[in-house]
Amino acid sequence: MAELPGFQRYQLAFTARLRDPHNQPPLAGVPDERMAVYEEIVFNNLFESVSACFPVARSVLGKRQWLKLNQAFMRDYSASSPLFRKIPEQFIEFLHTAETRLQQQLPPYFTSLCHYEWIELSVASAEAANIEQTHPDDDLGNGRPVFASTMRLLSYEYAVHKISPRHKPRQPESTRLLVFRNASDDVKFIELNAVTYRLISLLQNNAISGKQALTLLAKELQHPQPESIIEFGLSILEDLRIQGVIIGTHD
Amino acid sequence: MAIISQIQGTGLGLKRELIPQIQSLYGQAQLANINFVEIAPENWISAGSKAAKQLDWFVERYPVVCHGLCLSLGGPSPLNVDFLHQVKTFLHQYQIPVYTEHLSYCTDGFKGKQGYLYDLLPIPFTEEAVHYVAQRIRQTQDILGQRIGVENASFYVAAPISEMSEIDFIQAVVTEADCLLHLDINNIYVNSVNFGFDPHAFLRRIPGDRIIYSHMAGHYRQTPDLLVDTHGENVIDPVWDLLEDAYRLFGAFPTLLERDNNIPPLSVLMHEINKIADYQDKAGHRFTAFHQSPELLAG
Repeated sequence: MAELPGFQRYQLAFTARLRDPHNQPPLAGVPDERMAVYEEIVFNNLFESVSACFPVARSVLGKRQWLKLNQAFMRDYSASSPLFRKIPEQFIEFLHTAETRLQQQLPPYFTSLCHYEWIELSVASAEAANIEQTHPDDDLGNGRPVFASTMRLLSYEYAVHKISPRHKPRQPESTRLLVFRNASDDVKFIELNAVTYRLISLLQNNAISGKQALTLLAKELQHPQPESIIEFGLSILEDLRIQGVIIGTHD
Repeated sequence: MAIISQIQGTGLGLKRELIPQIQSLYGQAQLANINFVEIAPENWISAGSKAAKQLDWFVERYPVVCHGLCLSLGGPSPLNVDFLHQVKTFLHQYQIPVYTEHLSYCTDGFKGKQGYLYDLLPIPFTEEAVHYVAQRIRQTQDILGQRIGVENASFYVAAPISEMSEIDFIQAVVTEADCLLHLDINNIYVNSVNFGFDPHAFLRRIPGDRIIYSHMAGHYRQTPDLLVDTHGENVIDPVWDLLEDAYRLFGAFPTLLERDNNIPPLSVLMHEINKIADYQDKAGHRFTAFHQSPELLAG
């Protein structure tokens, strides 16, 4: 720090105090009550942004621990995005990179729960990709189903969508969800079983038709009657089209 | 699509809460004094298709100006050039002719990253800081290919290491950077109470020919000698007096109402915007860079 100009040394002492008012020394010649204005507004800004995105995580943790966690976020994390909207995403990164001692104080499902709560915000503000022309009503078995560009498949070790202060999971419960933004720009979640999840991943990752994906799936499942899988699978795809997850087909 | 000379008269800081009201009352006489609107690029850059549709609506109907929050002109971390390029693209995409920022900082370079703190922190008024901030304003103007305006910020802590007054600092920075001034009338008042100076004397030393436009806002009175710049209250009389004085000194420059918290219905905000327009009508013509030397704005 010695080589920094005086005004920058002062700035760094100032922000160190903002990041950790409980442990960093006050600045010489600065009245406490004035410094407290900054300590409050800077922390409250961050705290309100984070709290607004994670209402369930906040309520399962309880007021005191939630406050302490946010103080650690303020103290330990260096935010790299100038966009306020990215604060919750950075909070998740903070949880992933937080020191072990802090991680151990959190419930095992906590980071997954936060991710689940954040994804709603993320999908709400995701840019819609430009999609080439699709045939909205064509057959999903012969064509290649096209998904809403904001659709994401999610897989968690816990049933994150059922968590509340009264329902804190004691055991892991493998959970698969689909999230997307529909034509009215509303964010929707759909719970998936393992087979439907696999079907959608096959279609997402390969340029194949609905029937081709279902045939692959029947093989993977070593199903004795592949036709019944295909028939059942096509009805699932139709249902996804009605809900707006599938927006049409490519040739 | 707007050009800089269309930024005239009175305007409103655009908050999401106000959008439905503006859209439903658009074209009616009661909104006649919304001549331009201001947005924070940080709230609109890559904000999704719904926001993009809203912004398209406004850009087609109003001149729009950008007033940034997180560029951190006075911050110890390197200027975020990637972000600045995003701002540049955004300004071009929506044909926004004006970009202003604060004479403050919001990063500390913590752990070798930017370290955003998402608030406006006070730069110590030192000689070294003048050169440092002016250089970063110049760098910003070089990247954007246009002049920017810098706003006099409100603050609550006077740095004991400061070597000059706030007005000396502002004068020195805008001269060295050769940039525009985004004059915040309320901030002059807030600081005059917080640090005990005469706001009218401060105003007289403002380089009026560099004013691009100004802000009016309310604040919160925490104690008699501590005002907090919340933008959550009505504008108070001493701030109206300052505006009147500023128009008398520099002519009626474009002025915009900011209301970020505790937002009343649009009709209530229109009273304050109409009041600004009344002051402008009473004031004389403007004799500033804006009319006299367009080259100052061209960058």
